[in-house]
Amino acid sequence: MPKKETPATKVPVTPPDQWVDKYGDYLYGFAMSRLRNPESAQDCVQDTLLAGIKALNRFDGSRDIKFWLRGIMRNKIVDQIRRSIKENKVDIEAEDEALLESFWFKYSGIATTNPDPWQFNPRKYYDNGEFWKVFQTCIDEVKEPARQAFVLRVLEDQTTDEVCKVLDVTPNYLWVLLHRARQQLKVTLESRWKESD
Amino acid sequence: MFTCKQVSKALHKDDLAKMSLFRRVCLKLHVRLCIFCGKFNQQVIESQDMCSCYKKHVSQGILEQPKLGPTQKEALKDLLRE
Repeated sequence: MPKKETPATKVPVTPPDQWVDKYGDYLYGFAMSRLRNPESAQDCVQDTLLAGIKALNRFDGSRDIKFWLRGIMRNKIVDQIRRSIKENKVDIEAEDEALLESFWFKYSGIATTNPDPWQFNPRKYYDNGEFWKVFQTCIDEVKEPARQAFVLRVLEDQTTDEVCKVLDVTPNYLWVLLHRARQQLKVTLESRWKESD
Repeated sequence: MFTCKQVSKALHKDDLAKMSLFRRVCLKLHVRLCIFCGKFNQQVIESQDMCSCYKKHVSQGILEQPKLGPTQKEALKDLLRE
């Protein structure tokens, strides 16, 4: 006997006039975790909510509207970063150029064969909420444009091609930016977490 | 077998966790055994791992984030009403 297909349960749609109270804080917090700037984050929430209202007829109810709005917000975050890049173009620094010309980068695609080892094992603290708070402040402290590259490529899961387009840099230079971001994150995390441990 | 450059490039393009099992095993094996790129790329993998855990915390709302102020909320509500 053929199986009866059970229709997927649809998530009820929260009316847009309740979005600010229900999801405003979540969306703002998410935008802040990526953009670091309160004004840009607020603009992002505003753009997201407006875009959400316009596209509400395309909402299929397959997931919570909060996550649907977050999906819209991810595009708005990329737009915000694109705008800020247009204002401050990414210039390659002499030190970065030297890294790209180095033997190890050309031969193995690495910066060094012997990076400084971690002073502690971060994995031990993955269940510790305090650790992630410190981690977040450390991301905030990574210098631009490395932080922007890190946000787009690592946190927003954009492809390298997409990030290169947004930042208007070559794939090799994107590699340098991500390397710098990881380096700074590690150094800051080591000093911060030691302080608060 | 992969060369160091191919391993580095693959890890630059994608997270190890998102690759196929075969590719993951090959890359991990190279990183574990390689005296040239091993230490560096091991740190890249650890960083990917740490960031994916951080993203889970943020998207689940576990981490405390800054909130909108009452005036900001009112301004947004006004805008949505228009």
